[in-house]
Amino acid sequence: MNASPSPVSTPAIPAGSLARWRTVDIVVVAVVAVAFGVVFWAWNYVWAVLDPVFAAFRPAQYLISGVWLMPAVVAPLIVRRPGAAVFAEIVAASVSALLGSVWGLDVILSGLAQGLGAEIVFAVFLYRAWSLPVAALAGAGAAVGMAVHDFPVYYPPSAGYDMGFYVPVAVAMLTSGVIVAGVGGHVLVRALARTGVLRGFPSGA
Amino acid sequence: MSFLPAPLEPVRPGLLREVAPVTRLVVAVAWLAAAFVGVDPRVPAVLLMAAVVSLATLSGLPLRASVRRLAPLVLAAAGLALLTLVLHPTRTDPAAIVVVELGPLRITAAAASAALALALRLALIAVASLLVFGPSDPTTFADSLVQQWRVPDRFAYGTLAALRIAPYLAADWSSTRAVRRLRGIEARGPVGSLRVAGARLVALLVSAVRRGERMALAMDARGFDAGRRRTHFRPIRLGVRDAVVLAAGWAVAVVALVAGAWG
Repeated sequence: MNASPSPVSTPAIPAGSLARWRTVDIVVVAVVAVAFGVVFWAWNYVWAVLDPVFAAFRPAQYLISGVWLMPAVVAPLIVRRPGAAVFAEIVAASVSALLGSVWGLDVILSGLAQGLGAEIVFAVFLYRAWSLPVAALAGAGAAVGMAVHDFPVYYPPSAGYDMGFYVPVAVAMLTSGVIVAGVGGHVLVRALARTGVLRGFPSGA
Repeated sequence: MSFLPAPLEPVRPGLLREVAPVTRLVVAVAWLAAAFVGVDPRVPAVLLMAAVVSLATLSGLPLRASVRRLAPLVLAAAGLALLTLVLHPTRTDPAAIVVVELGPLRITAAAASAALALALRLALIAVASLLVFGPSDPTTFADSLVQQWRVPDRFAYGTLAALRIAPYLAADWSSTRAVRRLRGIEARGPVGSLRVAGARLVALLVSAVRRGERMALAMDARGFDAGRRRTHFRPIRLGVRDAVVLAAGWAVAVVALVAGAWG
């Protein structure tokens, strides 16, 4: 490609859903996701410390799994753009991968699954509804994404896990997704809007 | 200032440092896919061996630091494997081949094989992650995603800019606790600690949004969103080395699957 210093004449960014993202949308979603990535880094220690405690009864541990699903709900609620859930989850996951998290690659895959789960819910509402019930549904969608990733990777049927394990864990994931990520995420964004920091976004107007 | 660890950086030359990051990514994903398709523990065993050898000889990463990075995973993998060992459904099957029997504890051959496969697979995820992300910095990764995979450049470089402030956000997160302690605000009980955690999260996100807005303004002032087609400052071209790594990587995956099928 030739870097000719011609005046601005070629609006090469195609008109499409992604082009409607302003720089501030991109950067704020990315920074918010990085902030969650940082929290996850601290949260991973909590999870690791609790791991042996919960080993006897896995579903209880997944009651707190919703924390990982928060970016998938919070970022779209702030910028209200298509793709925000997937983008935020992938960035939040990349932080730990780039910091050399032991799960690295796999974290990105799980982030992708969780982001897609929430994204589908926002898309079903045509990116027009951002109310508490929709946020709760998106949290549930992200939890479904989590199950779709975690079950085959960490608890495969070949290792002897069956419905007696999957059903209670899935219920715990969904509960946590709805309450922590969905309702919690909505409350969080409302609290942010009250501080005035979201004035430049549809959510703070 | 920050509780985040320093990124692992290569100290020696190595073949994996000279290929495009997406090449490493494609091979690693192929390995993980093979490890999850193959039920036999031989599949992840072969792949893990190849990954460890690559880490030691081709990645240029410091060995001791890599091992230290991987240590927590050994614990996690051992925990999940132990769970499989003890809870495998064949434990009540009278026809199953039993390896160890100690009172109520009955470990079958099937359980041992499944536990081994799970542990090896998790170890593979970790070593493969180091192989993908260790040999080059995030900037090179973004360059490669934009040039080889046509990831929209504003998203790739916007994310890169955001990643740079991770240490500041980590410091913000720590200081929210310090401030609370200074003011004598203590969490009482589970509800209280939940409320404190929520308040800290709001404070962190306020700081994150402010930093993001300021950075976006600075970036736009320098023409980040000028609407022009971008050229590449650091061109990354796929070459013979990429072809070699790709071919060798796929070959290892096939060998692993064949080894598993023989079992």
